[in-house]
Amino acid sequence: MGQEGRSEASAVAGGFETRTHGRGVTYCYTTDRFKTISLHAVWVNPLTAAEASLGALVPAVLKRATQRWPSTTRLHQRLEELYGAHFRADVGKVADRQLISFHLELVDGRFLPGKPNTLAFGLDFLTEVLRRPLVTSAGHFDPTLVEQEKTLLLRRMEAVINDKGQYAALRLLESVAGGRPFGLRKWGQPEEVSAVGPEALYSYYLTLRATRPLLVLAVGAVDPDEVAAAARELISDQGDAPELAALRPYEPLHRDAEVVERQPVSQGKLQQAYATGMTAAHPDYPAMMMYAGVLGGFPHSKLFVNVREKASLAYYAYARLDGALGLMMVGAGIESAHYARARQIIEAQVRSMAEGQISEAELQFTREAYRNEIEAEQDSPDLIIGRKLETVLVGGGLSGVDLISVLERVQRTDIERVAGQVLLDTTYFLTGEEKGEGQST
Amino acid sequence: MSPQKALPLINETLHTFTVPSGLAVAVIPRPGFKKIYATFATHYGSIDNHFRPPGEAAVEVPDGIAHFLEHKMFEKADGGDVFDDFARVGASANAYTDYSTTTFLFSTTQHFWEAFSVLLEFVQRPYFTPENVEKEKGIIEQEIRMYLDMPSDRLHSHLMRALYQVHPARIDIAGTVESIRTITPEALYRCYQTFYHPSNMLVTVIGDVDPQQVVETVARDQERRGLSAKGRIERIFPPEPAEVATPRVEHRMSVARPLLMVGYKDVPEVPGWSRLEREVVAGLTLGMLVGPSSPLYERLYGEGLINERFSARYTQDDSFAFAALGGETPDPDRLEETLTRELPLAPLREEDLERLKRKELGSFVTLFQIPEDLAYLYNHLHFRGLDLLQYPEVLEGVTLERVEAFRQLFTRPERRAVSVIRPLAEPGP
Repeated sequence: MGQEGRSEASAVAGGFETRTHGRGVTYCYTTDRFKTISLHAVWVNPLTAAEASLGALVPAVLKRATQRWPSTTRLHQRLEELYGAHFRADVGKVADRQLISFHLELVDGRFLPGKPNTLAFGLDFLTEVLRRPLVTSAGHFDPTLVEQEKTLLLRRMEAVINDKGQYAALRLLESVAGGRPFGLRKWGQPEEVSAVGPEALYSYYLTLRATRPLLVLAVGAVDPDEVAAAARELISDQGDAPELAALRPYEPLHRDAEVVERQPVSQGKLQQAYATGMTAAHPDYPAMMMYAGVLGGFPHSKLFVNVREKASLAYYAYARLDGALGLMMVGAGIESAHYARARQIIEAQVRSMAEGQISEAELQFTREAYRNEIEAEQDSPDLIIGRKLETVLVGGGLSGVDLISVLERVQRTDIERVAGQVLLDTTYFLTGEEKGEGQST
Repeated sequence: MSPQKALPLINETLHTFTVPSGLAVAVIPRPGFKKIYATFATHYGSIDNHFRPPGEAAVEVPDGIAHFLEHKMFEKADGGDVFDDFARVGASANAYTDYSTTTFLFSTTQHFWEAFSVLLEFVQRPYFTPENVEKEKGIIEQEIRMYLDMPSDRLHSHLMRALYQVHPARIDIAGTVESIRTITPEALYRCYQTFYHPSNMLVTVIGDVDPQQVVETVARDQERRGLSAKGRIERIFPPEPAEVATPRVEHRMSVARPLLMVGYKDVPEVPGWSRLEREVVAGLTLGMLVGPSSPLYERLYGEGLINERFSARYTQDDSFAFAALGGETPDPDRLEETLTRELPLAPLREEDLERLKRKELGSFVTLFQIPEDLAYLYNHLHFRGLDLLQYPEVLEGVTLERVEAFRQLFTRPERRAVSVIRPLAEPGP
């Protein structure tokens, strides 16, 4: 592979030193307070019905074998030699983008016998996995590995039904999307998985390498020059990629729609999607965070207090923002027969938010709770990486002390103002009983 | 000063102390970290349903009461809510119950001392009324029903019932919808007074705090309450036979494909073994036999009999111990057959042992970065009289002979039970 001379720009923001290398970007957060070094490499891929399954199979096959470690056993032995490095290769989803992710967590050599340079080992491992997969003499992926991973992926897609909460959330999002890409499952559809062959998959892998932005994030006692050098090898293919465009909030197609589905379940899952009209990059997003926090972010919040503590209807009841889509999810696990009552209580809380019925204590507790959460992110390499990735993908938004200080200044009137934008899109109910069906407030 | 134990390689120090009431305190300082994590735990869990309080007659209590009690500790006499007391100072609180412990916890980046005093206060101040006990039943019923819909939770629960004939580890931690309905304030107080005595409890703090100040704060709190050390609680476990209750249990649920878990019942005390050594050896043995770097794993994965979520774990407590292996599989019969045939035979090699020791050492170092996991493990070992800091030394000393000796567990069919969950309707061929 030829090394191309590319211009590099570097900047430091939010604890990260950022360098761009053409199509790739490295983000290094250098600190000596962790016992580990965390490396995360992500290809950002548009989520489309035609390509989602190809995108999902690439990490599944790459994680199986490389030229230097040509079997899964050898690859895992390598990880164990690195004092049990944790390696994950999988596919994720943020709004309508598919994230093809490789995550490696290594013990920092400073805390190991002989003080090995585990960063160098880790970068070498990632480079090997991403750039030198096991290829047959025919010049594509090993057909056996591809078939094995297709089978496992198909089963994993079916197994979504095993986790009823996750299933309900997926079904709700599909209903909200009404065919738009953000409603697609991150693995695509079974028919497409079945159709994938080793040649097509290998050529898709080469396309990813040559055209998709690659983000490399590193947290720990890392040398940004060392990471940048590895990144240059990781992105050395010819080809250009479009800039990462900022995400836009989704446009609601429904107003108070209802979807009821029956399954043999012991507990009904009530899930609602509300359009918020803004992503995490919007200046009003901190006010929206306060809104969602007071409504259902914490044990002091309205949903927990009213649905669980006062009415004893549920073990959990929450509201959670999706800052990439511009959507708020509300959920509770309830007795199927209590559907109408639970909805009535939840929607009364949502109305009370719009009416500004927010106490000083609710505001204060919510601000403090967010501060605790945001400050604690600094203790976790995974959370540091997750927050950075979200900011990069969404195309803005505050984090850390900046976010805390803006949250402190959010007033009741700000929350009332954003409350007016919160619209119930769709209610989804997974129920075990027929009599739960069709009831609504 | 409190006694200190240092782990120079990983730059960590553990401070431990016991105040006159019998309450134990452990502090692991983490300079430079934002979050302080504190737990207040009692050596009391779901298996402690039959016991003799010091100087009293034996008592039997309803299944699931330890977990119920954990929920009810958040109730206050003035009608307020403990969650609000934590929220006021910006701390995030929670609690959990398992087979042998109940743990109350909070984490915070500010106002640690205020939150710490909320923790010390609420765990030592029960308030149960017929009304507040009744109100909780609906909430816990929904918690139980949530677990009833989780296939992996059911798989484990069924396995425990198959492995154990009489030991209360066979009972679900939260009890059943029926058993919790019989819980009364009197029964809760009885359990509270027996098990929430400081001499049966442990406070653990991990974060950027002064250990001496933690110890002094706890000592002052205990002095104010005027509690003195108490006699021993007798926990009554019926003698558990070596043989499993049922070799095989099958259930049907709304799942896409079957799940299988194979369990091997071990005995909690094995002559010639320290318990920590057995736990360490068990982890290494399972890794060598069927971990992701083993030939058996690659074969099972390649044949599609397991996926990445396959797990192999050893669990050990004072009164029970078992190994459990399994996960989602299209063919539970073939997976079971392969595991039971291969586990006693698969080669155990010195180089694999040395490599897996490295892996375990890495996990031990990483543990000190995750306060939740560190406190969980420290607390569990403490209640069983084991020392977390001996882990690297015990690990270093493991020999291939010990691994081979542990593997004998897999050669005893009378110790084996199998739990299977199949879809409601089997998919076509």
